[in-house]
Amino acid sequence: MTPELRKIAPAPLAPVAFEIPKPIQTTLKNGVRVVIFQDERLPLVSYRLAFHSGDIHDPRDMTGLTSAMTSMLTEGTSEYTSLQLAEKIERLGASISSSSSDDFTIVAASSLSLYATEVLHLMAEVVLRPTFPEEELDLYRRNTVENLKFQRSQPGFLAGEQAARLVYGKHPYSKVSPSAEDIEKLTREQVVKFHTARFVPNNAMFIVVGDVNKDEFLADLNELFGDWEQGSGVSHDFPEPPERNARSITIVDRPGSAQSNIVLTNLGVKRDDPDYFPLIVMNQVLGAGASSRIFMNLREEKGYTYGAYTRLETKKLAGEIEATAEVRTAVTGDSLKEFFYELERIRTEPVGDEELADAKNFLTGVFPLRAETQSGMTTLIVNQHLYGLPDDYLQTYRDHVDAVTPEQVLAVAQKCVRPDEMAIVIVGDAEEVLPQVESYAASVEIFDTDGHPQDVEKYKMNNNDQGTANVAGKWSLMVDFQGQQLPVSLTLEQNGESVTGVLETMLGNGDITGGMVTGSKLAATANAEMQGQPIEFAISGKVDGNAMSGTLSAPIVPDPLPFTGTR
Amino acid sequence: MSETFKLPPLEIEEYRLANGLRVVLNFDNSAPVVSVAVYYNVGSRNERPDRTGFAHLFEHMMFQGSENVPKAGHFQHIMKAGGTMNGTTSSERTNYYETLPANQLPLALWLESDRMRSLAVTQENLDNQREAVKEEKRLRYDNQPYGQIFDLINEMIYKNFANSHSTIGSMDHLDAATVEDVQEFFRIYYAPNNAVIVLSGAFEAATAKELIETYFGDIPSQTLPPELDVTEPVEVASTYKEWEDKLAPFPAFLIGWKIPPRRSAEFYALYLAGKVLYDGDSSRLYQKLVKGEESVIQLFGFTDERRGPSSIFIGAIPKPEKDLSKIRETIMNEIHDLATHGPTTEEMEKIENQLINDSVRIRQSSMSRAQQIAEFALYDGDPTIVNTELESLLSVTADQIRNAVGKFLNTENRALLDVVPAGKG
Repeated sequence: MTPELRKIAPAPLAPVAFEIPKPIQTTLKNGVRVVIFQDERLPLVSYRLAFHSGDIHDPRDMTGLTSAMTSMLTEGTSEYTSLQLAEKIERLGASISSSSSDDFTIVAASSLSLYATEVLHLMAEVVLRPTFPEEELDLYRRNTVENLKFQRSQPGFLAGEQAARLVYGKHPYSKVSPSAEDIEKLTREQVVKFHTARFVPNNAMFIVVGDVNKDEFLADLNELFGDWEQGSGVSHDFPEPPERNARSITIVDRPGSAQSNIVLTNLGVKRDDPDYFPLIVMNQVLGAGASSRIFMNLREEKGYTYGAYTRLETKKLAGEIEATAEVRTAVTGDSLKEFFYELERIRTEPVGDEELADAKNFLTGVFPLRAETQSGMTTLIVNQHLYGLPDDYLQTYRDHVDAVTPEQVLAVAQKCVRPDEMAIVIVGDAEEVLPQVESYAASVEIFDTDGHPQDVEKYKMNNNDQGTANVAGKWSLMVDFQGQQLPVSLTLEQNGESVTGVLETMLGNGDITGGMVTGSKLAATANAEMQGQPIEFAISGKVDGNAMSGTLSAPIVPDPLPFTGTR
Repeated sequence: MSETFKLPPLEIEEYRLANGLRVVLNFDNSAPVVSVAVYYNVGSRNERPDRTGFAHLFEHMMFQGSENVPKAGHFQHIMKAGGTMNGTTSSERTNYYETLPANQLPLALWLESDRMRSLAVTQENLDNQREAVKEEKRLRYDNQPYGQIFDLINEMIYKNFANSHSTIGSMDHLDAATVEDVQEFFRIYYAPNNAVIVLSGAFEAATAKELIETYFGDIPSQTLPPELDVTEPVEVASTYKEWEDKLAPFPAFLIGWKIPPRRSAEFYALYLAGKVLYDGDSSRLYQKLVKGEESVIQLFGFTDERRGPSSIFIGAIPKPEKDLSKIRETIMNEIHDLATHGPTTEEMEKIENQLINDSVRIRQSSMSRAQQIAEFALYDGDPTIVNTELESLLSVTADQIRNAVGKFLNTENRALLDVVPAGKG
């Protein structure tokens, strides 16, 4: 092939049609809705029995009941012990599992179609006749409490917990996890009663995808689930999520954190919103992927983070929009600046033709990739039916994406991305973070990692009470780099709170231009050059007389390097 | 059961270009999707003792641009076409792959051929990716609880340098590498006659062949490196080590055994023994340690499959107050039982169904088909083994499992790594 021909990317071949047939729908006498999607590509079958109630429908004083009941289904039935069930299922090479989410509870099974009937029998056993043995519940409680402890050490969990609280207020979407106390007080009696009340046919939908014979399957389903008696439906009246009208800052203080885990969020839309398609295209342009604007800005251009994204969470009753990143502590404030720049830009400038086309191409292109496997196909169909989307939803998905215009993208951005009323949540070292971000909102609250509110003034006082420290002079610092002590010299000039100077390292020297002293704290960046590449060091120090300690950050090391030194 | 179940064979066509590039086509139009996998016969096993980490460094370099594709352009092209892509490195090979809507096949071939032909090995790209690799090492290994334990136990199990050193390699070696070193490595190992390209999915054979010839046909072949010696002495190199992990929240341990190469009768038997011991809720160790004695937070095991001596691991993170030696005793007792009595009839039936289920499931995705086929083509010189592998596994008997467990999973042949949390509180 000639070098000329190789210069540009080749054009695609003729498009290949992608037809998704529509499933067959019916209803059993007792009200179970049934969806059958025949997929004969391979001898496999996937079952989903879904209930239109989930964690948010937990009784008010019994958080965690739905998920406990769901997890316990496979831990013993009137026919089999937990071990016998596991052996029965695995001996068929099959799997049965159950899980709950905010809106739904799903019992899932899959196997070779050869064992379709046996697996359906086992599913009926698990769904209709679980016994919830006391000793299995006890093991569940103890293991869950261990996991809850572990969860609180994860910054992502802490950020999500606060973000949900701020966006959803008294709406139960605000609860992302039960507490240890919730779990410990669950009783077997409650679980048994709850199972009887919630696992009723008029609350259920059965979806089967795969190589099944429709008539045989319906006959089996009628035999196994036909006598299942109706119960009262689940209805709830939830408080509306609060209206936000100003930005707020919530910091979860995690002293010594190397990174700040940032979440910016406001209320979005529910899953069946008519703006859904313009919104996913907008989100693709803004921050959904690694070629989206926010990633290109915060990671590729600024090097603040490994990844920065936006996300649309669309649930049954409400949703939220989120921008997230984990950034080096020293650039927490700078990251907010870039986030808000992009969040503002998507609302004010129409998106360019090429950018729009790229986003749409991505969304339409990956769609058939998702339908390649049976589990991917099953997920698409289950979601369509649980969220009550139109019957031709999957068949027309790509047309809907293609039809989105720049005007629609701008309109949904203005409607849904609301930087002026976002909740800013930061999990990180509060003392370091607070001065960087204070100016971004009128209100600040601080919590510890156990969720207890802290006195914000205490953090401010640490910064301000001794007045502005004197940092001028030549400092000799030792930086700890993987156990090695590297000498660094820092020469500073001070004018009130502002600082300039030079940072000298073995790798090169950097000029400090806009450093700041706040109380006893020094925050400065030095721009150096290393092997021909510009590199930005961030210095964060605490001065005590002629001694200074703190951290030195650089984009080439994941964690800030601690240092101590003297003048 | 196995007599009644016949998996339809995958449709496979194989040929070589004049320059030695091995091509395998697997036609399957069940979804309008195509996957392209390019496997280079170079892994950490091929590295010089003073240049470890090179194969993995290349995984990064291959996204840094080539003659007609700018830096990071590969990624952008694939995303915009609605595709997904990645690359990985192991001891055995380095692979690059993408899945795209079926009509974007020319794009994938153009991108893969441009970097095979003309990778941009510049000082700037080298410096930049060295730093990226260092960051990755810090993030994934140095800065993760338990992040280094598999590299550590490999050093204990293997004595031959080709097998024992880590894929991520030494940062000093990467620092010492010159552009010339890198160019030479590229020339030798990233040659068409050292690679396999597999297409799986919806495409027309004639179109695909023409495109492959157009894009890859005139890339020059190279003299290949001599055969590699990966043989090992029978015994493991060291049997016990204590590792202080300052990030680990709980103590843990990892046990490893050196076992025969992949696709040998004994390897198959031990792979199945692993299923009996640690795979799934009904497995012996899960029932003993997670349900019965409730001793562990996490239990895991797997086989590391290599062309040379391979290995098998079992590890656990016990609950805080539990006695580690007692847990290990439980594990060794179960192994001893398996070596004495072999798996039960029920266990054999379970394995059989699981193997069939797994092999059907793996065939659903064009990418997993392409990857499996590429491995058989590259390691065994025969991509059609993908159609007979299940039979080979199903023919393993309970006696063979019992014998192999007795011969290999004993205490003498065992490397034990204790992970001790350090610097807590």
